Amino acid sequence: MAAKGKKMDFAKAFEELEAITRWFEQEGADLDEGLKRFERGLELARACKERLAEVEANVKEIKKKFEA
Amino acid sequence: MSVPAVISVAQYLDLVNDRLREVPSDVGVEGEVSDLRVSHGKWVGFDLKDAQGGGVLKCFMTVWQLSVPLEDGMRVRVTGGAKVSARFGKFQLDVRTVELVGEGALKRAYLALKRKMQDEGLFDGARKRPIPRFPERIGLITSREAAAYGDFLRVLGNRWGGVEVDFVPVHVQGGNAVPEILAAFEHFHHLGESERPDVLVLTRGGGGLEDLHAFNDESVARAVFSSRVPVVVGVGHERDESLCDFVADVRASTPSNAAERVAPSRDEVRYELDAMTRRVEEVLRANLDARRRIVEHAASSASALVSRQRERLTSELDAFGTATDRWIPNISERIEGALRVLRQVDPNRVLARGYSIVKSGKTLLRDASELVVGTDVSVQLSRGTFDANVLRINGTGKQRLV
Repeated sequence: MAAKGKKMDFAKAFEELEAITRWFEQEGADLDEGLKRFERGLELARACKERLAEVEANVKEIKKKFEA
Repeated sequence: MSVPAVISVAQYLDLVNDRLREVPSDVGVEGEVSDLRVSHGKWVGFDLKDAQGGGVLKCFMTVWQLSVPLEDGMRVRVTGGAKVSARFGKFQLDVRTVELVGEGALKRAYLALKRKMQDEGLFDGARKRPIPRFPERIGLITSREAAAYGDFLRVLGNRWGGVEVDFVPVHVQGGNAVPEILAAFEHFHHLGESERPDVLVLTRGGGGLEDLHAFNDESVARAVFSSRVPVVVGVGHERDESLCDFVADVRASTPSNAAERVAPSRDEVRYELDAMTRRVEEVLRANLDARRRIVEHAASSASALVSRQRERLTSELDAFGTATDRWIPNISERIEGALRVLRQVDPNRVLARGYSIVKSGKTLLRDASELVVGTDVSVQLSRGTFDANVLRINGTGKQRLV
């Protein structure tokens, strides 16, 4: 389910954001590191939200030899 | 064809069987199964009987020809060729097809197959695979005409967008349904990993048991079970069940529900994203606040230290001031006292009151008896001195002290 040569891997971005949130919950003491992660988190959230704005599903009909 | 007057048994049976071949083999014979037996896991034999009237037809076939589970008492329709077996000398039907007849038989066949697959472990919860939370590509197997197709795409679009739906149109009922659905699974099964969908959806609207036969077909159920990609099956309405439902990784109640099960809700994900960024910001802010407080605290305790030192210094100085203030008068007082004492013992003061000091040479005279007439003495007054000569000694007298 990894890279499919698509615009962005939503699942990956979301997981990374979850990991950042977890880091803040559990550690988050290092201020420099925290600021770095905070910026990365905002970037990921923004990218995920842009992806959410896509409305249509792209239906590709696979004909081949299926219909009698 | 001329027949010799005398022939062997086998030749005679061949003759009979030639005639029997004229009986049309495509005619369906309907009756009830009884005395069903399977020998050597290979041969199936049963009696086909009329419910009334007592007609009996011996039937034979191989297990591989049998596409439905048979049980005694089931009503079936069979086709096949009539013949007399040379080996046993019995009339029999070589069965080609067996079809279950009536709801009751279908239901029983369904339950028997369900039990068998359950015993094989095909329904085990432990083998069910999770579907990815955010699928990028969904394989959809359903009929183009069915409302299921429209419902699925509509609900999918309402929840989530930007996914690729690889749609394989198939018949979901009728004679082509099973081979078409199997071909669709075959297609997805053999795709390379980069083309493979994250999840497959097999769906259709509701229907009676007969209508759902493709979803109760053993080969379709096994295709769902062995699919390389996790499968969501959504058939009809809540009350319906099919074998595909049981083997599916995720069972959805309807096509709409299938869409809900494969795609996350945009609103929920948006909420979650917001919650996460908020949480991250909160922690960071709390962290900054804590540090600021530490700095402030350090600054204020440093200034407290300084002011405390300053206070001590002032109080030291004060104490020093008062000590010295007292010290000087104290000293002058002591000097005064000393002076007073000194003043009291000053012999000049005694002289000033009219006393004199008389010496003979260096010796201070205190006793007249020590004197000799004619001796020179010196007399010291308060102011000035003079020398004198002892004329007489008038007695020694006694010393009296106050």
